[in-house]
Amino acid sequence: MLYKRYIEIGRVCFIRLGDDIGKSGVIVDLVDQKHLLIDGPDGIGRKVLRLNQVALTDIKINIPRGCKTKTVRTAMAKEGVEAKLAATSLVKKFAAKNAKAQLGDFARFKIFAGNSHPELAQRIAQ
Amino acid sequence: MAHTSRNSTLPGGVPKLSRSAVYKKRALYKRKKVATVPAVKEVALTKTKTVAGEKNGGTRTVPVQKSPRFYPTEDCKTPLKNRRVVKPTKLRGSIVPGSVVILLAGSHRGKRVVVLKQLPSGLLLVTGPYKINGVPLRRVDQTYVIATSTKVELPALPAIGDEIFKRKGKPTKNEKEMFVDNAGDNSYKISAEKVALQKEIDALVVPAVKKVDMLQSYLRSRFTLTKGQFPHEMKF
Repeated sequence: MLYKRYIEIGRVCFIRLGDDIGKSGVIVDLVDQKHLLIDGPDGIGRKVLRLNQVALTDIKINIPRGCKTKTVRTAMAKEGVEAKLAATSLVKKFAAKNAKAQLGDFARFKIFAGNSHPELAQRIAQ
Repeated sequence: MAHTSRNSTLPGGVPKLSRSAVYKKRALYKRKKVATVPAVKEVALTKTKTVAGEKNGGTRTVPVQKSPRFYPTEDCKTPLKNRRVVKPTKLRGSIVPGSVVILLAGSHRGKRVVVLKQLPSGLLLVTGPYKINGVPLRRVDQTYVIATSTKVELPALPAIGDEIFKRKGKPTKNEKEMFVDNAGDNSYKISAEKVALQKEIDALVVPAVKKVDMLQSYLRSRFTLTKGQFPHEMKF
């Protein structure tokens, strides 16, 4: 199997478990076999995460190992990481799943009605 | 009016506050002294009664209030007056007049109904409306209900209280017959007054429901859980 996404300094990760679920950060250093030091914009800050809490993306930026938060953030802004992230399927899927979980009972009913009665789909979409 | 004791007793029979502490607390020195003591009204303690019979002395002085025949052996403190004010149950913030709510128990379980108001007894007054899903004007406890975020804009409704829900009592033996006739039809029959009131309420609520798209079919349907749905993870 050919791995394309490596755990390396500068690799952008999507956080899939824990308090910061849905956010993304950059690998700044490796703590041990199972832990990473991640840094990101205001929402996350600098913290140690376990490998399984994180999903690797295709995006990689150029930063020196263990650099300061300010350096990470300017590098992220320069590379336009935010825009690239929005295009990744990880982020899109999470947004869709989150939106579905936030639906109220009435909204859920409308979707169900739309699925079982396609002629209503247009009406519901409004 | 005399105040309750300014002091209390600690376990062991020891008073909590010292004499000087109680003196300070009573603060009699702060209270205004009344210039003239109001005159105490003279209340007669005894009265004279005429007594019949030749040898009974004609009159007798008798106390106005007879001492009671029975009285307790020990003097005990009278308990303090209960000043509790009964308030209706605090309603969940998510339940307001007009909210759509899912009934969780009873024959109408799973049905989505409209809350009209909270009654003085604390229960919610709820209706389908009857025309839409067959739930009449009904009282429901808020604990047996899931509140959804959907709200209906209700117009001004006629005043309804707990009285119309009061049921007629069972026939008692006092009614001249030897036995209580249980074979008779004691089943509950809806009063004409209730039917009329339901029609009146429906006429106000149904148009409000119809204004929102798909709300009527939403109220017609029942709430169910399918595979992978967990109420504690769902938003209503």
